[in-house]
Amino acid sequence: MAIKFINDDTIAAIITPQGEGGIGAIRIAGPESNKIISRIFLRARSDIKNNIPFHLYYGHLFNREGEVIDEVTMVEMPEGESYTGQTQAEIFCHGGQFILRQILNEIFHFGARPAEPGEFTRRAFLAGSIDLARAEAVADLVSSKTEYSYHAAKNNLLGKLTDKIDLIRNRALDILAEIEADIDYPEEDIEPANENKIEQAMDEIIAELAELASSYRSGKIIKEGYKIAIAGRPNAGKSSLFNLLLNQNRAIVAPVPGTTRDYLTEWIDLDGVAVSIIDTAGLRKPSGIIEKAGQKSAVEIIAAADLVIWIVDLTRKSWRKDLLKDINDIRNRNILLLFNKIDKINIKNITDKDILSISFKYVLFSCITKFGLKELKKELNQYIINRMPDLTDGLVITSERHKRKLDLAIKRLKRGMITIKKKESPELISFEIRQGINEIDEITGRIYNEEILDRIFSKFCIGK
Amino acid sequence: MVVGGGHAGVEAALAASRMGKTIGLVTMDKTKLALMSCNPAIGGLGKSHIVKEIDALGGVMGKAIDATGIQFRRLNLSRGPAVWSTRAQADRIGYNRCICEVIAEDKNISVIEGTAGQFLVENGRVIGIATESGEKIFSKAIIVCSGTFLGGLIHIGEKQIPAGRQGEKAAYELTKSFRSLGFEIGRLKTGTPPRLDGKTIDYAKCEIQQGEYPIPFFSYTTKSYNVDQISCHLTYTTAKTKEIILRNLDRAPMFSGQIKSKGPRYCPSIEDKIFRFGDKPRHQIFLEPEGNGTDEVYPNGFSTSLPEDVQLDAIRSIIGLKNAEITKPGYAIEYDYCPAYQIKPSLETKLIENLYLAGQINGTSGYEEAAGQGIMAGVNAVLKIEGEPLFVLDRSESYIGVMIDDLITHSTTEPYRMFTSRAEYRLALREDNARDRLFGYAQKYELISEEDYKEFVDMQNRTIEKIRMLRKKVIPISKLDGLSKYFIRKDAVSLADLLKVPGVTCNDIIPFMTDEQRDDSNDEIAERAAILIKYEGYIDKQEREIEKFKKLENESIPKNFEFASLLGLRNEAREKFDRIKPISLGQAGRIEGITTGDLAALAIHLKKYKSQKNIKDKQ
Repeated sequence: MAIKFINDDTIAAIITPQGEGGIGAIRIAGPESNKIISRIFLRARSDIKNNIPFHLYYGHLFNREGEVIDEVTMVEMPEGESYTGQTQAEIFCHGGQFILRQILNEIFHFGARPAEPGEFTRRAFLAGSIDLARAEAVADLVSSKTEYSYHAAKNNLLGKLTDKIDLIRNRALDILAEIEADIDYPEEDIEPANENKIEQAMDEIIAELAELASSYRSGKIIKEGYKIAIAGRPNAGKSSLFNLLLNQNRAIVAPVPGTTRDYLTEWIDLDGVAVSIIDTAGLRKPSGIIEKAGQKSAVEIIAAADLVIWIVDLTRKSWRKDLLKDINDIRNRNILLLFNKIDKINIKNITDKDILSISFKYVLFSCITKFGLKELKKELNQYIINRMPDLTDGLVITSERHKRKLDLAIKRLKRGMITIKKKESPELISFEIRQGINEIDEITGRIYNEEILDRIFSKFCIGK
Repeated sequence: MVVGGGHAGVEAALAASRMGKTIGLVTMDKTKLALMSCNPAIGGLGKSHIVKEIDALGGVMGKAIDATGIQFRRLNLSRGPAVWSTRAQADRIGYNRCICEVIAEDKNISVIEGTAGQFLVENGRVIGIATESGEKIFSKAIIVCSGTFLGGLIHIGEKQIPAGRQGEKAAYELTKSFRSLGFEIGRLKTGTPPRLDGKTIDYAKCEIQQGEYPIPFFSYTTKSYNVDQISCHLTYTTAKTKEIILRNLDRAPMFSGQIKSKGPRYCPSIEDKIFRFGDKPRHQIFLEPEGNGTDEVYPNGFSTSLPEDVQLDAIRSIIGLKNAEITKPGYAIEYDYCPAYQIKPSLETKLIENLYLAGQINGTSGYEEAAGQGIMAGVNAVLKIEGEPLFVLDRSESYIGVMIDDLITHSTTEPYRMFTSRAEYRLALREDNARDRLFGYAQKYELISEEDYKEFVDMQNRTIEKIRMLRKKVIPISKLDGLSKYFIRKDAVSLADLLKVPGVTCNDIIPFMTDEQRDDSNDEIAERAAILIKYEGYIDKQEREIEKFKKLENESIPKNFEFASLLGLRNEAREKFDRIKPISLGQAGRIEGITTGDLAALAIHLKKYKSQKNIKDKQ
């Protein structure tokens, strides 16, 4: 964890999105908040002496020369009761970057510094207002691009992930209690730990964890967008399709951080799902050194893509032979075939035999006449929707860290299963399960204490 | 000076004596040193581990039980070596006499009969005590091991008797002295079953439980000798027992509200067991003889504070006890303790310098737990006088360390008993390696003789040789018979591979060794080697966990660190930190209710504090 989390200074930032809006908001957090407010804000009704926490006050905001910047409302929150856990104030002014900037400048002038991205949330986390899983969810929520990512992040923020994980963890602790009771009370008249019952419970726990872990596939798509690669042989029409898709759909302007790459990629919103379209064109120059480097990237992109649109140029004589060869290379990817340039050939030349020999979905297409575009979009939507989780009550993890921890927990618990199956002694089984629980605990940041004993005592009649 | 001559007090006095100090051992009755107030047994899961650790630190408990035990067994032998546990029935009187002799022979220890009444304190340091009769005794350090005697109150049904043990006076003045010094004093409860006249028991109706041969002794110093082992018996309560107890529940002090303090959940009274687990048809009762020279029997599992007439009815409803006579009634006892957030890892109190607390006063229960603290308090009191660094064991190296850390971090609210499940590094904390873990310290503090140490180092070396041999010696798979199924696609396996098969013991591989290899080592070395091989992969994994643990443990928090003024902490966390004053980030993280957020904030403040201090130091 970075050292810059030191919490004793005061930070401020605009908390409404960039761009014009009716209302803009600024948050100040830290020990100097009240002092700063007292320097720049004057209540309209000055007959009230002190500001009461959580009361919204109407008044004016002044600059250091005593000139009014804007009419605003303002609310203060005391230490321990705000999101960041610190003394905090929020100012609501008229939207517009100019006003917001001016107000922020005054706040900085009187002792605050600009908040770093996510710093309010980090403080909230440090203050214990939210646990690790929720803190990560806030970051996701803020950067969510589409309705889907918003829902996933919100579920997580509401603590649903924590709740779910607690549920699984409790079951693991129950198993552990059974095993521990068996170890620590060899002379007690308690029913020996039932191996079948334990195995079954372990199976269930592992399955639930695995389900959660596998939701990262969707989670990653939700968070990072659905990756569609456009690929094919040179001059098959990849760039034309790329441009066509961009023009037909609302492009998302803000790029996802960390996706700057040297190939062409753009974001579009496809029915509420952020989709990144990657054009592999240009990666495959006909000859020379660049070809090799380019080929490698194309292979990588195709490997990372959720769906590959493979374009076939029907005007090429050798397309059948080429396709069979190409398909072989990318056989285990999700592929949608696009038979392009249908306008240039006689459609009757394409026989049923040609198509039936290919077991992939395909669309007959023309970039020029836009023939097949409707069908292509239908196919894309169908494909994406089928892979989207039901977010009404389903839970999706969107953090790579969570995914890693879940995988580790599963690995440890599976090892626990092996020790059970091999009839290893219970302290070794316990060792593996404890390690699994430790991994789970790292998701919510819980620190594990006396809980096993509590369970043993409440469950078993123990004690000579 | 040591106040209290129970299991903690005795170990404390002996440890300080071994380190060359003279000790006054203040006790009410010098014939009752290390008396077993409750069950006549030493050891059991978790507890035996502590006894082995005490032994590795030169303590007396293991030696005394070896000399006076009347039945020895190892529990959990069907499980792995980390949870093997030795348990012995003691001759109660024999054990007490044995300890009295050891103390009498120790030239450094003088036993003073009296009852401590008041601490003499000067400038925040304890300098002595005044006894209840007004005598003043001065000392550089005082270790209080008051057991159940501090404000002791016995309950038998509706009857309440002020006492420290049945028939013995309690101490009341000392609690007042603690309070006036600013200590928070709490109240705990424990209980004991009635004792029976063995001549009136029909053993034919009970299951027999015999001792084990070869005898598993506790102390490494004990030379094997033959003990005529006695048998214990197992019997069960009946539907009638349940009926009697439920009918009289309103006369049980725990249920009538007469006792409000908390008792141990792991050692509930019979009335509690029957009430809470009503669907259980029967509860087992172990009949344990109290010694060779007595007919008295301890019905383990029948702790009770019901009125005497109900006790007798209930006892007689148990199988085989139809005609049993009670020699002493069971009772519950409430006593004062000092919630352990008030002591440091060295067991010295935070409030008063040179004052140490050990045993039940810190909230523990059990002879072994008390003795473990006693030895640590004894060593630390001496080190402090000498101006030496303190002796603190951590959770990864001993059960004693687990116990003390639990106590000072969690301030137990029920009597604390050791369990192996409390030790997260359980696979590394075994009976067999107590000396590997602690002998280095024992040598450093001169708690053991130099010969013992050298002999042990020799044993360690021979263990390594033995492991090497077991790894090298290869057996063709055709000779393995039934075991060959564990080794598919292999022509030959080493003896070490063989040992890793669940259920295979050192005895199973003996036939594969040459005579020379067999004679090469004694049983203990063979067993040590086998354990290390069996646990090999796990021990490595545990070691990695321990490294991680040590990192946080080594992030020490300075003594004068001010938790109360830390920003960015939740109030709950700040209060807890301030109360417990953790000595390391590791300990801080173990405090109940502390989240990773609190810990991260604390870590940051700590880093800031240390970097500022560095700058200051440089200037």
